Amino acid sequence: MDLRRSFRLLILAALAGAGLVLVMQATLDDYILSIVKFVGIYTILAVSLNMTNGYTGLFSLGHPGFMAIGGYATALLTFPVERKAMFLPDLPAWLAGLALPFLPSLLAGGLCAALTALIIGPPVLRLRGHYLAVATMGFLIIVQVMITNWDSVTRGPLGLNGLAELTSLWWIYFWVALTFYVAWKLKFSSRGRTMLAVRDDEMAAQTLGVDVFRTRVFALVIGAFFAGVAGGLWAHLITAITPTSFSLVMAFNLVVMVVVGGSGSIAGSLITAVFFTVITEVLRPLEEGLELYGISEITMALILILILIYRPEGLFGSREPACLQPDEPARGERK
Amino acid sequence: MGAGYIAQQIVNGLILGSMYALVAIGFSMIYGIIRLINFAHGDIVMIGAFATLGLMAIPGVPFPLVAVMVLGVGGLVGVLIERGAFRPMRGAPQVTGFIASLAVSIILQNLGILILSAQPRNFSFPAYLQVMINLGPVSFRLVDLMIMVTALVLMLVLMAVVYRTKLGVAMRATAEDLDVARLMGIDINRTIMVTFAIGSALAGIAGLMWGGKFGQIDPLLGFVPGLKAFVAAVIGGVGSIAGAMVGGFVLGLAEVLFVGLLPPIYSAYRDAFVFSTLIVILLILPNGLFGRSSEERA
Amino acid sequence: MSRKTLTILLTGLLCLLMALPALAGEPIKLGALYNLTGGMSSIDAPALNGAKLKAKLINQAGGLLGGRKLVVIGIDTKTNQKAAATGAKKALAMGVVAGLGYGDTTFVMAAAPLFQKKKVPFVTSGATHPMLPRWVGNYMFMVPFGDDDQSFAIADFTIKKLKAKNVAIWTDNSMDFTKALSKFYKQRIQKLGGKVVLEDFFMMGDKDFSAQIARLKNAKPKPDVVFISAIPNEAGLTVKQIREAGLKLPIVSGDGFDTELVTTVPGPKLANDVYFSTHTYREDKRPEVLAFVEAYKKEYGHPPENAFAALGFDAVGLIADAIKRAKSTDGPALRDALAATRGYKAVTGEISYTRPSGVPLKAVSIIGVHNGKYKVEEIWMPQK
Repeated sequence: MDLRRSFRLLILAALAGAGLVLVMQATLDDYILSIVKFVGIYTILAVSLNMTNGYTGLFSLGHPGFMAIGGYATALLTFPVERKAMFLPDLPAWLAGLALPFLPSLLAGGLCAALTALIIGPPVLRLRGHYLAVATMGFLIIVQVMITNWDSVTRGPLGLNGLAELTSLWWIYFWVALTFYVAWKLKFSSRGRTMLAVRDDEMAAQTLGVDVFRTRVFALVIGAFFAGVAGGLWAHLITAITPTSFSLVMAFNLVVMVVVGGSGSIAGSLITAVFFTVITEVLRPLEEGLELYGISEITMALILILILIYRPEGLFGSREPACLQPDEPARGERK
Repeated sequence: MGAGYIAQQIVNGLILGSMYALVAIGFSMIYGIIRLINFAHGDIVMIGAFATLGLMAIPGVPFPLVAVMVLGVGGLVGVLIERGAFRPMRGAPQVTGFIASLAVSIILQNLGILILSAQPRNFSFPAYLQVMINLGPVSFRLVDLMIMVTALVLMLVLMAVVYRTKLGVAMRATAEDLDVARLMGIDINRTIMVTFAIGSALAGIAGLMWGGKFGQIDPLLGFVPGLKAFVAAVIGGVGSIAGAMVGGFVLGLAEVLFVGLLPPIYSAYRDAFVFSTLIVILLILPNGLFGRSSEERA
Repeated sequence: MSRKTLTILLTGLLCLLMALPALAGEPIKLGALYNLTGGMSSIDAPALNGAKLKAKLINQAGGLLGGRKLVVIGIDTKTNQKAAATGAKKALAMGVVAGLGYGDTTFVMAAAPLFQKKKVPFVTSGATHPMLPRWVGNYMFMVPFGDDDQSFAIADFTIKKLKAKNVAIWTDNSMDFTKALSKFYKQRIQKLGGKVVLEDFFMMGDKDFSAQIARLKNAKPKPDVVFISAIPNEAGLTVKQIREAGLKLPIVSGDGFDTELVTTVPGPKLANDVYFSTHTYREDKRPEVLAFVEAYKKEYGHPPENAFAALGFDAVGLIADAIKRAKSTDGPALRDALAATRGYKAVTGEISYTRPSGVPLKAVSIIGVHNGKYKVEEIWMPQK
């Protein structure tokens, strides 16, 4: 009975979402539609970072690095062969002749990012707290420098432009839904509880037989996969990708979204992603009208400080609103 | 590439490193006492640089007095930030404070652009400081020597304060265990405030030096020293003052030597090399050079 | 005429006069996309100032197309590509008849293709990559010359006027603008028989150049000239440090050196023997230039910060001129009028789009810095 109920709720939610997408595509103008798409991408990023940072308590600033890897990989795969010949004459032969449709390219991008996480995870994840933060920051900068200087594959600082605008609202909806589903399922699964345990008290988790190290690597890898996909979606929304597209500033913005929403809360990440993306746009006319450029950033920062003073645990803490809680087996209660 | 060239590069690295060390010490002090990564620390450097510019423009103020006043300005800004943004948040999870400091940094930077305009400005010290000194194959300016000497002197003064005064005892006690310190009768609010003031004063004077060394300042200049302070403090072990000092010098030397000793084609990879080295250091010493592994229990 | 008739007539006239502004038509909107906050703000903010000034002057002179007011809507894209893309979409949604903006190719590439798709012209005031019109499309227009032109100009000056045989090149490897500049400079130097004896690199944001200077000192054969491909932030610093190290060889560059910093940071004693190619504006005595500088001082209380202010001014002027010739604000018609521009007297020189590449045929000014003072050394024209 429980299974059927959650399943039905899920289908209902999916249909409602699809309906919303249909309506939005039909009625909204290009500008607002692009804002909605960015909200979607930031949601994917916030939720995926939540899986890494929020669930497991890692302090990773490397998310944009994974975005960059995924983004460039996707872009290189969707780039038509003739354009590759014109813009990237020095590409290795197997890549130069290859041009894939969007979905396989996105998946490949995500996989490249996940693979990178798997490689750098084991050495770097031995570190804790702020040391881990600096190491992941180092990873991000190393990725940026490599991309800037690997001209033959990435065109260096010029980046790749003229990418096809493949990121439609449907694709975003699909990936948001998928990310949500994975995050939700993960959180309320045994593995998810393990991750939360590692965050809350590592020593206790270890005494219970949890392989802390593997858990942390897993957290990094799964976050990296979705970051890579988000990078690909991003690149095909702006239709251009450069080494500076995914910077330390973005790393901070994402961490802000996770913390303000509540580390470990999926709903919190969603709401904060929406809130911050929308507020920036809403404050824009104010800025332009007063000709005080920078006011919107200052206002956002002040709002942020206020939120943190009055709700330092974030909007939702680690919990989810009641409607998102899975049905627990009855514990002596009547349903 | 003779010994003279290498000696010159080492001197350059030490000069740069002394500035990083100064900023890193203040940063580490603040972390040590309330476990806060203060990302606005770099922007206090920026404020110090602009304050210097403003004070030097007042006729009749001798330069040493300007330097002292800048210490005061830095300290004041630090205290304001502490009271306004961080005190209400005491007791919250660490990462909350980090985000708040980021917000403060954004506010300071954008206020800087609004009030001062984004254009870089020229910054020059009195001419007598620009004299070139030549010691064999190595040459540097008087201002570089002053930077290093001042930084070392300030660090020594700080060590004296921390290890030989009552205030220092209070600071160390609060850093070790805030609640117990409070139980022991230490006025932690005042101690924290003073720590912030000292750390920020150091950042302010670092701003004066930064402007003097490079000759050019703009409202966004704080980002780089802030980041370097963070990295230097981590190399040395966050929370350790001696560690921050050493970390600053290590970072300065690494930056200059990488560009100086590798072929020109690798100059563009400098940041990657520095960070790779950082990661390697951390892998060998997961708590930095002098850090204590109890740090993360907080 | 009875009093009643007079009253009616006068009232009628009054109503007509009050309705006239409405008859004048709705304002003509231009979307100005600039990075007013963030790292590029020192380059972009003056450009927006220039653009708004020109619009104000045009409106004071009676507006366009029968009295319609020109409105420049400034959109801050915060040195952030996502903001550039959404800013462009916002401008288009607001119904701008043309877009203008940016001093850097990266941001133009984030915004201009969106204008191209909607068949609305985009005019960049400051981005100089010569491939821009070909990459974006026929709705893309450049106010400045291309990097190839300015590099060739300073390369010719290096070989012919400075009589250099051996040349050292320093490149900022983090920006496409500076990399392109070096590439074209090297190409031209070698074509003219010069030799590149040293190639060194740095990154935007670097403050210390002692390693590069040491390598420069030790280079064999000794370079006669050093070409530094940098943006304004590093211009003053490099000159200062090179001169402080005792090196007296001429330092040359492109329009990245067109900034007050190149004289104020080193100081009058050290700012010597520096030459750079730039837009024909500084120390220029043409009436357009003098009028612009006066108007800017009056409006903003200080002289223009750099050439980008003049370029922003010219971007609006160019669009307005095309609107007048096209007698409409319709996208394709405006585009055709822009493409037909011949000899438009901009503050930064005459603009004509006669070349197949779409890059304007504009004069390049070579400025020399001697003891902290600027002087126009020569004016270089690209081949037709």
